[in-house]
Parts: sequence; structure tokens; C-alpha cells
Amino acid sequence: MKPLNLIALLCFLGGATWALTRSDRSVREIQYYYYSALMPFLKAGSAMEEKARNFSREVEHSKALEVELELTRAELSKLRQVEQRFTDLETENMRLRDALEFKKNTPFTLIAARITRRQTTNWYKTLEINRGEESFIGNQNPVVTAEGLVGKIDLSGKEFATVILLTDEKCQVSAKIEGSPEVGILSGRRADYGDPPMLALRFLSKKANLKKGQRVFSNGRGGIIPANILLGTIESVETGAQDSEALVRPAVNFNDLVTVFVIPSAN
Amino acid sequence: MFRYSISLLILILLAVIAQQFVPTFIALYNARVFLLLIVFLCIAVTVPLPVMFLFALICGFLWDAQCTLGSPAVDTSIYLDPVASLRFGTSILLFGFAGLLMHGFRPLFLQGKWYVSALLTGIATFLYCMSEYALIDFVRGSFTVDRGVLSQCGYTSLFSIIVSPLAFAALFYIARLFDHSIVETNRSKRRFT
Repeated sequence: MKPLNLIALLCFLGGATWALTRSDRSVREIQYYYYSALMPFLKAGSAMEEKARNFSREVEHSKALEVELELTRAELSKLRQVEQRFTDLETENMRLRDALEFKKNTPFTLIAARITRRQTTNWYKTLEINRGEESFIGNQNPVVTAEGLVGKIDLSGKEFATVILLTDEKCQVSAKIEGSPEVGILSGRRADYGDPPMLALRFLSKKANLKKGQRVFSNGRGGIIPANILLGTIESVETGAQDSEALVRPAVNFNDLVTVFVIPSAN
Repeated sequence: MFRYSISLLILILLAVIAQQFVPTFIALYNARVFLLLIVFLCIAVTVPLPVMFLFALICGFLWDAQCTLGSPAVDTSIYLDPVASLRFGTSILLFGFAGLLMHGFRPLFLQGKWYVSALLTGIATFLYCMSEYALIDFVRGSFTVDRGVLSQCGYTSLFSIIVSPLAFAALFYIARLFDHSIVETNRSKRRFT
């Protein structure tokens, strides 16, 4: 081996060792600066994506209009378009009302956030939202919707935060089951490509008497996720040698998320 | 060479930015165009070993800055079995190994057979993804590989094979721009002298 190559290899291994021995705090700082540097591009990209989506919507509308014009009179098609737009607005209005109602009815202070990106890594199930420390969002804060728990904050920056989803194996929540004394730890399953991806409720007693459809809630133990947030419903139970494990269908439709709510640290 | 290497660094940074806007294909088992890895693998065959190591260090560092999960500050009396994830810096080693694999076939690239390297980017991507998954399996203490995992790695590597010719075209263009040769133009002459 050439001396220069050997020196390069040693430097490379030295650099890798340096990186591998960083403390969690240093890593968080590095990530903070990394995302802060990327933020202008992410913001610009998000704005462009929004414009592109609007444009594509407009194109779809005009195509539909052309078809309508061929089939019916111009006046009728115009009315139909208005009706369509009204329905869209009504749906959007209902969605926003639901969100507002949810925000009003919850005992926590909630911060609404829009999802900007999904699945930024190869194997971990994460998404990014457009709120961060400026909105008092901190690491480990729970993220919810009207349906139930979405996950928790993994990294919060100034104007962004990364959410680790409930469907990821690393996101663990202490859970209880409606109408049962059973408690367990709920988490996602590795490499689950199902639609929806199922959750595993582990460490249940061997004689756990559970039925399909029973609801699973957070029990508040561990101090991160508040109690009584809906997590999902029991799908099936498997009894092992020492304990039981239940398969849980998540309450939230993770493919359909647009807006989420973060329960900030102040709660 | 220096100007070429600096331009490659800029190309890597552009790939990092572009990677942010590349979505995953849910229908294809969350496969994605792993742009940063593709650009790095293509660069790896066009530069000497020390420069390849430098770029592996940079790419691994950036990828880990994007992907590393924090360790949750959980109550260990409740969460008895906290789930581990890969440490910051793991990707540096993985990028290094993938780069070495590509670099091992550099003589073929120097002969002008870039298509062999393009195919190799697919293999290296597959090995990278599988190694990453195997390491996650290892730190979490169980080994589960199913059709979904293989499909995700397979489709991601397929995307690499499709996209890598574009990356090579960009590299040839940059090399020409800075009057730098990344393939041996006078190979036959060298062989007989």
C-alpha cells in the first residue's frame, strides 16, 4: 500500500472514530446546525411544492372543464365547477372546524403544525413539521391529532422539528387497555410495510384476556406522553411462553396526515 | 485535480440539498433515489483513494447529521427495554466500505468502461442498505429480514443503476470543464512504454 493511501486510511478511521465517540448532546448540536443550514432550501422547496401543487390542481380543473364543455353547455359546467369548489371548501372547512374543535376540547395547550416532509431516512419512520423551538416545541414532546397519538418530537430546531412516528420501533409508549387491568409497552414494528403498519403491544401478562376492537390508550407512565390519548385498537393477541403480545391497529391514518398538534413542554 | 475535487465537494453539497426533496415510493416498499450515495459512489471511481476517503467522511457525516435519532430520556423503570439506533458516525464507515468497493473496480472505469461502474453502483447501494439494516438489527438484538426489506434495498439499488449514468455524465462534464481527465486517454501508449 502506498504511504499516502495508508495515511489517508488512518485519517479516515480517525475521523470515523471521532464521529462515533461524540456524545448525544454534541450530535444534537451538529444536527441543529445541519438543519439550520438547510432550512432556507427546505423553506424555498416547500413554497415551490405548494405552488406546483396549486398549479397541478388548476391544470386538473381546466382539463375537467374542457370535458364538461364538450358534453354540456358552458353555463352548466361553470355551475358544476362552482359546486365542486364549494364542496372542496366545505370539506376543508369541516376539517379545520374539527381541528379547531379538537384544539378547544383538549385539556392541553396545543400547537398546530404542518407536515413539511416525510420519511427522511432509510429505515426510521419520521416526518418533519414547520414548527420548532420558536413555538416552544422541545425534544420528546408528544404529537397528536384528533384521532390519537402520532408520535413524539425527536429533534427540535428553531423553525422545524423532526417527529418520530408511533409506527417506528424506537417510539415506545406505556399503554393501558380499555376495560382491562393490562398494561404494556406499545411500539412500532421493524420493517413493517403494511397499510396501515401495525403496532406491537408487548409485556402483557400471559393470561391477558383481550378482545379484538378493544381500545388502547396511553397510561401516562414514564412522564412523556400524557394519559388517555388514544393509540389504537387491538387486532389480535398472541400468547408466548412468559407473556403475551397484542397486535394493535393504530388510531391515526399516517398516510393522511396534513396537520398535527404538538403538546409543548409547558404542559 | 484540485479544482475538480473542489467542484465535487460542491456537487456533494448540491446532492445533499436535492436529497431533501426526493420522496420515498411507498408503493415500492419505501424505496428512494439515494442521490447522495449515488453521487458519492460515482465520484469514488473517478478520484484517487485519499480523496475518496475524504469524500466518504464528508458524505457519511452529512447523512448521519440528517438521520441519527436521539436517545430518548425515558424512565427506565417503565421502559425496561429501550430501543437502540445506529450511532452517529456509522454511515461514515458504510460510505467508506461502499467507496472502497467502487474504487476496487477503478481500473475498469479508467479503461472507459463506465457502464460497469454504473452497474456496480446498484450492487454497492444494495450492500449499503442491507448493511445499514443489518446493523440496526444487530444493535436491537434480533435479526429479521423479509421480502419487504429486500424489496426496499432492491428497488433503491435499481434506482441507483438508472440514475448513475446521469451522475457519470455530470462528472465527465465537470472534468472536461476543469481540463481534468478521469479516464486514461493514452492507455495503450502507457502499456508499451
